[in-house]
Amino acid sequence: MLRPHLLRSFICVFCLSFPGFLALAQEQQHKREHAPPNAKVFFTGIADGATVPSHFTVHFGAENIEISPSGTDKPNSGHHHVLIDSPLPALDAPIPSDPNHLHFGRGQSEGEIILSAGDHTLQLLLGDRAHFPHDPPVASEVLHVHVDAASVEKARTPSPPNASVFFVGLEDGATIPTKSVVKFGIAGIGLAPAGTDSPGTGHHHLIIDAPLPPLDREIPSDLNYMHFGRAQTETMLTLAPGPHTLQLLLGDYQHVPHDPPVMSKVIHVIASDQGGAAGASPTDAGRTPSPPDAAVYFIYPRNGETIYPSSTIRFGLRNMGVAPAGVIKPNTGHHHLLIDAPPPALDQAIPSDLNHLHFGAGQTEKKIALKPGKHTLQLVLGDYRHVPHDPPVVSERIEVIVMGPKHKKHRRR
Amino acid sequence: MNLPRMNLPRITALAIGVSAICACSAVSSNAVAETPSPPGAIAYFHYPLDGIHVPQRFTVRIGLKEMGVAPAGVDKPNTGHHHLLVDTEMVDLTKPIPSDYNHIHLGNGQTEVVLTLPPGPHTLQLLLADQHHIPHKPPVMSKKITIYVR
Repeated sequence: MLRPHLLRSFICVFCLSFPGFLALAQEQQHKREHAPPNAKVFFTGIADGATVPSHFTVHFGAENIEISPSGTDKPNSGHHHVLIDSPLPALDAPIPSDPNHLHFGRGQSEGEIILSAGDHTLQLLLGDRAHFPHDPPVASEVLHVHVDAASVEKARTPSPPNASVFFVGLEDGATIPTKSVVKFGIAGIGLAPAGTDSPGTGHHHLIIDAPLPPLDREIPSDLNYMHFGRAQTETMLTLAPGPHTLQLLLGDYQHVPHDPPVMSKVIHVIASDQGGAAGASPTDAGRTPSPPDAAVYFIYPRNGETIYPSSTIRFGLRNMGVAPAGVIKPNTGHHHLLIDAPPPALDQAIPSDLNHLHFGAGQTEKKIALKPGKHTLQLVLGDYRHVPHDPPVVSERIEVIVMGPKHKKHRRR
Repeated sequence: MNLPRMNLPRITALAIGVSAICACSAVSSNAVAETPSPPGAIAYFHYPLDGIHVPQRFTVRIGLKEMGVAPAGVDKPNTGHHHLLVDTEMVDLTKPIPSDYNHIHLGNGQTEVVLTLPPGPHTLQLLLADQHHIPHKPPVMSKKITIYVR
């Protein structure tokens, strides 16, 4: 999705503040290619003032100058750039590369663009092998186009007329425990994991204490907009004591709401430490909650790989953040590497010894030395006091083979 | 509820303009003491790598050598949080990194982030910053890489 207004202002201010400096520096580096005086570029199949859909293909034409991929050192040639809602950029600098300045560096003669509803301007500008405009610049007329709001809507996945989502067993105004299971119901439309593009399906999003997001784009993914991309129909929800609002919103395979949107009513709940029958059990009370879809994994090595006796183990963490031990912040933790150790007890602090390495300073990789032979490795995220989260964020327990000092890697494979 | 939102306030174009103009001035006095970084510290991309083609929606995975990650606001030596600079020049290293679509803050200590970019070439660069969003001294950053969104 384009965000022209913000980018444009950034670029303009940037150019204004450095003009002399930039021009001087660039002139020494690059001499602009000459263009024949009768060279021209133009849009084909689209007229000035036309109404266009939000997502469409534009075609470019060129006369008296050749189109070649960027980097091709050939006189009288260049490649297209489409300027969206932007004036001509500085001519003595490379054409910027951002959502308002699209590059077609492979020498394309058409391109797909997506515009928001409203009025926009389009202009073609040829750039040479180093993306500098030619001398004189080869640019098209500025084209004014209008995008109907209706066409933006059409880009969204249609929903069946009777589709609905709702909370199961949770009424507006209910008092619930601070930690409770919330169930999602769905009717008249199918459930499918994110990424599965099948018509008439979607996956749940739970909006907590936040307004409905814009419906024409991806639902945000953060603590107030929880995604259930594996098509889950319930979640263990932890809320601070006090009043909260909850709302369900279905998203299609790209997390964009349907057209018309499939959403529940906003319900108000009060989270209470004493409330409800399904309260948290006492052993769970001390553990820090982890968000749904959080995962810890090995970037290196992978399961079954042969590694050197001294190797850097690299840790990956999805949908959570890293914080040093001692830092209390929701949805963060620090890594623990278990070497040749069984999975840890989940209700107590991870031990600290040669088989349980703590990364309490927030490290995300560590060079370790291992004896030749087979070893198991496992990552466990711990909270501020080294206790695994609830549910625990634990990697697969992988097995690696450490090669002997005299063996070459390829012999062991 | 007490859980914070992750979308950070957007800084206005005016604020960005001010920082860009300040970049021209030779030296600026700094009220906040600079945070030192250890020797050998560097941020780098696990994914994507320089020059590759990626889909419109992809996950950036971030590596960090010789330092630790901490959420913004945490005061601990040799830690910082990542910033992903998209299609933009290096910022003034003595000022807080701006927060906008071109400067993505990973203030909760994230080490990966999902990006959605329009087709075409884009540049990405990592820059670590301290608890006040100010880059370390010397700055801990990655090489600027170019990727092609198909």
